[in-house]
Amino acid sequence: MSEEHKRYLSKLKRKRILIKLVQIGILILLFGLWELFAHVKIIDPFLTSSPSRVVQSISNLYESGMLFRHLGATLLETVISFLLSTVIGTLIAIILWWNETVRRISEPYIIVLNALPKIALGPLIIIWAGAGRNAIIVMALLICVIITIISMLTGFMSIDKGKMQLMKSMKATKLQTLCKLILPGNIPTLISVLKINVGLSWVGTIMGEYLVSREGIGYLLVYGSQIFRLDLVMASTIMLCILATAMYLGVSLVEKLIHKYY
Amino acid sequence: MDALLEVRDLSFIYHSPDAETEAVKRVSFEVGREEFVAIVGPSGCGKTTILSLIAGILEPSSGEIFLKGKPWEEMSGLTAFMPQRDQLFEWRNIVRNVLLGLEIMHAKTPENITYARSLLQKYGLAEFEKKRPSELSGGMRQRAALIRTLVTSPELLLLDEPFSALDFQTRLSVCDDVYDIIRAEKKTVVFVTHDIAEAISMADRIIVLTERPAEIKSIYRIDLNKTLSPLKRRELGFGDYFKKIWADLEVKQCRKNIKDISVN
Repeated sequence: MSEEHKRYLSKLKRKRILIKLVQIGILILLFGLWELFAHVKIIDPFLTSSPSRVVQSISNLYESGMLFRHLGATLLETVISFLLSTVIGTLIAIILWWNETVRRISEPYIIVLNALPKIALGPLIIIWAGAGRNAIIVMALLICVIITIISMLTGFMSIDKGKMQLMKSMKATKLQTLCKLILPGNIPTLISVLKINVGLSWVGTIMGEYLVSREGIGYLLVYGSQIFRLDLVMASTIMLCILATAMYLGVSLVEKLIHKYY
Repeated sequence: MDALLEVRDLSFIYHSPDAETEAVKRVSFEVGREEFVAIVGPSGCGKTTILSLIAGILEPSSGEIFLKGKPWEEMSGLTAFMPQRDQLFEWRNIVRNVLLGLEIMHAKTPENITYARSLLQKYGLAEFEKKRPSELSGGMRQRAALIRTLVTSPELLLLDEPFSALDFQTRLSVCDDVYDIIRAEKKTVVFVTHDIAEAISMADRIIVLTERPAEIKSIYRIDLNKTLSPLKRRELGFGDYFKKIWADLEVKQCRKNIKDISVN
């Protein structure tokens, strides 16, 4: 290795460390100022809470035995709607790819469903699915499934024409074309859909919990604001940040695994 | 009659909501066993369409295609199509790409797999069989694509501008490679190209098409030494062939180009 290359590598490494340090520094600074300002009453801790109060609030929840019940409820709803929407959306996209007539018939309906703000269906969903976990899952599912269908179908339809001709010249059946070309050729599409859905399923779940729930992070947020306990609201928000990020990292891990084998 | 492929009065019309376009008009020709036939024509004239019809990708509007004297439908395993660019699947390694045709025909038998491996071995890809297509050079990818068409043991190969995606230098050497492989495996070939020099350097016979709708304008038998490689043929010169085919391919096109330039 030449001296110049060594210098280049160490420069890269220094930059990487610097960026990490600044990232962590900003976090510490934000929380530190937040705590300090609340402590010396520059800001009103009744309205803004403070890191120490947030920690207190979380440990209260833990001691009352409710912490994991709330986190678990939200996580379960999110994961179920995430998986269901990906599977159902992909299946519907396959049906639409398979049959051109069905695809063209369904086109305006998909456009309308995509344009519609799904939250508007909240009251209907509650009446039809009951005020409980089912309604929350249906809500999150509706938010994710349409975009899944659209993204997957776009991926299916944009497979290289030359590859389709190759399959046709080999006398491949439609099922063979699907299994050997369309699906494996759209693994990158699937990964980007997973990344979109991991965000949207959280949106759906929290919105659903706002509407109907008796437990979960969304419930804590609404409850906390109703009784004006901002400690609880802030604590819930921070826990939500951590959970959502963890799930995103989980998807990134799946992506890496897929890349290894594909 | 020793014709492997017989095309009789082949016509094809493209239908779209706006219009119908006559792409191929009453084309007839024959291709003998182990013959190497090039189809050249102005761009967009329908030469690829003719190949797609023989490959069974499109259905003719009228006319017939016979393989070994029998209607095309009964003899579908006899042909193999090599599309423009290599179209290798990135999610499969080279050996699995090569086996694609066998998988689809449900003919992935141990003997056939051995045959595929022997082809990879013979043509210098054995050590790359576990690599992804993107890890190979353009020339190697083209060879892999050719082996993919060979593993189902077809007699007639249909090549659609097989070298169009390669740069000039690679193109000349891959051209030699492909030519050698095809001659060694004793295959019959119909290939489409827009490159007159490429056609003369490889083909035994050249079919020149008119502008759309494609009709046969002329057919040339190329009397150059068959044992020479395409590159050698280029070096020795093409005689009058180039000039004649160039003249056939419409002076009109050149004039149009000159007009374009003067506008600029």
